[in-house]
Amino acid sequence: MRALRHRTIAFLVAAVAVWGGWEAFLSLTAPRRVDAAVAQALHREGRANVAVTLGFAPEDFHIRLFQSHGVVSGVRGTTVLLNRVGADDVGRIARYYWVRGITLQ
Amino acid sequence: MLPAIFLPPPGDVLRTAWELARDGSLWVNIAASLGRVLLGVVVSAPLAVALGVLVGLSRRLAAVLEPIASFFNALSGIAWLPLAVTWFGLGWTSVTFIMFNTIFFLVFFNTLIGVRTVPRIFEHAVSTLGGSRRHLILHVLIPGALPSIVTGLHMGIGFGWRALIAAEMIATSTGLGFLIYNAANFHQTDTILVGIVTIGLLWLGTDRFILQPLERRTVERWGLVSTAP
Amino acid sequence: MTVRWDLAATWAAVLAVTLAGWGLAAATLPVPDYYLPPPTAVFAAFGDLVVKGILPTYIAESLRRMLLAALIGLAAGVPLGLVLGMSRRVADFAYPLLNFFQSVSGIAWLPLMLVWFGFGERTILVAVNYTVLFPVIFNALLGVRSVPRLYVNALRTLGASRWRIVRDVLLPGALPSIATGMRLGLAYGWRALIAAEMLVGAHGLGFMIFNAQAFHLTARIMLGMGTIGVLWLVLDYFLLRPLEEATISRWGLVQR
Repeated sequence: MRALRHRTIAFLVAAVAVWGGWEAFLSLTAPRRVDAAVAQALHREGRANVAVTLGFAPEDFHIRLFQSHGVVSGVRGTTVLLNRVGADDVGRIARYYWVRGITLQ
Repeated sequence: MLPAIFLPPPGDVLRTAWELARDGSLWVNIAASLGRVLLGVVVSAPLAVALGVLVGLSRRLAAVLEPIASFFNALSGIAWLPLAVTWFGLGWTSVTFIMFNTIFFLVFFNTLIGVRTVPRIFEHAVSTLGGSRRHLILHVLIPGALPSIVTGLHMGIGFGWRALIAAEMIATSTGLGFLIYNAANFHQTDTILVGIVTIGLLWLGTDRFILQPLERRTVERWGLVSTAP
Repeated sequence: MTVRWDLAATWAAVLAVTLAGWGLAAATLPVPDYYLPPPTAVFAAFGDLVVKGILPTYIAESLRRMLLAALIGLAAGVPLGLVLGMSRRVADFAYPLLNFFQSVSGIAWLPLMLVWFGFGERTILVAVNYTVLFPVIFNALLGVRSVPRLYVNALRTLGASRWRIVRDVLLPGALPSIATGMRLGLAYGWRALIAAEMLVGAHGLGFMIFNAQAFHLTARIMLGMGTIGVLWLVLDYFLLRPLEEATISRWGLVQR
């Protein structure tokens, strides 16, 4: 059983630490991505039409992902236009590390 | 009870089995699947053994190639399919390629391990008695590695059979995998069940009547078994 | 953990030679570009997919499904196998059934699952969990049956209750087999997962490489294949194999 102390435990500890650290990092950086105007709109109406800016042209993967958060109404270059997004979904989108910013349309 | 489309009564399944057997489509698909297994074994196993022995002769080379072979083992089967389709297109070439790969790497890896675990003293004994390299290979290394080789073959065919069924669903239009996947498109659950039972019986039969006895005989004859992932 | 620098150096050399040879082949072979992308293209694809968040998401999806199957296999498969193995009559009855269901991999059940559940997450989960469960149940059963009756009887003469016998004799005795069963089940399960993801298409590494083929993004295919192989190696080396070896060395007698 002592062998476990080396390989497996070290691996599991490292895995948990990395995962925990990453989630913490996401939680810290997420709010910065959301524009103040979006927060206000959400506060007022509960839903908002947002423009999600990425650092690259979105692929199928991203479009499909956004479709689970709102109604995709268009793509302009590196920005995806998303309608009727609720507060929860804005929060979730903000946690994607590859999202640059969320602004109001 | 459940609608027949979800779980057809045994009578329906038996009737469909009879029909498929009678119009030949069952046999054609069985032959296609088994043929691919056989082709895979016949083409890749001797090559894998030969290469495994050759590489195993040099301890340095063996130590280096072992992790690479281990990696390809981890990759066996279905993960090769998209690449195979890119290279060979849809059809039996891609699907047989899957079989080939799975069996080749597992047999190669196990041959390598088997050759390396043959105690050096036997090699020395052969050279002391004036034996040539060929003697060494034929009378010491290969018999000594045989239990490992057969285990590798067993696992290779086991993994390969599963990968084959999956590959037939995706990339070709014959074989048991295709039979059941195609039937799903038409909601022909009785055909699916016939196919599933056939697949299970074929593997059980191969395992029980061919592979396990083979493994047991080689272990009895040449002793120690070492297994690999 | 000792690091063998000489071995590592040899591997590095072999890796370098392989990459160089591959690059050369990619540049010189008379085949269309998308047949054999050079190693640089694969590394670029890696960077690309990580920046876009695609690769980590797909890896997480596949691992999540695998973890779930492992947990269910452990929580449901082990107790079931133990219970089935405890009675000789039940075990003899269950043995051929389990053997048969183990022979039919989860993927073969996929078409039926598609009819029942359609193209979704549930179909994948059912197929993968099935694939993992049966080797676990089967090996747990074998493990229990392989414990010499002598030990069970010895404990009985000392007045042990049924529960004590299970906990102190049957379970430890069966542990090596259970560990083997988990390892085998997860090996089959990982491969079944990739196949299921290709067929059902609900994200995951299998879907990634399958989808990439449709667009001739061969560098992505190779990247995905590499990831699949490396992930299994990591899981096996750090988790499964140590577990198996530990149970064998501690609870000993394994007839393999």
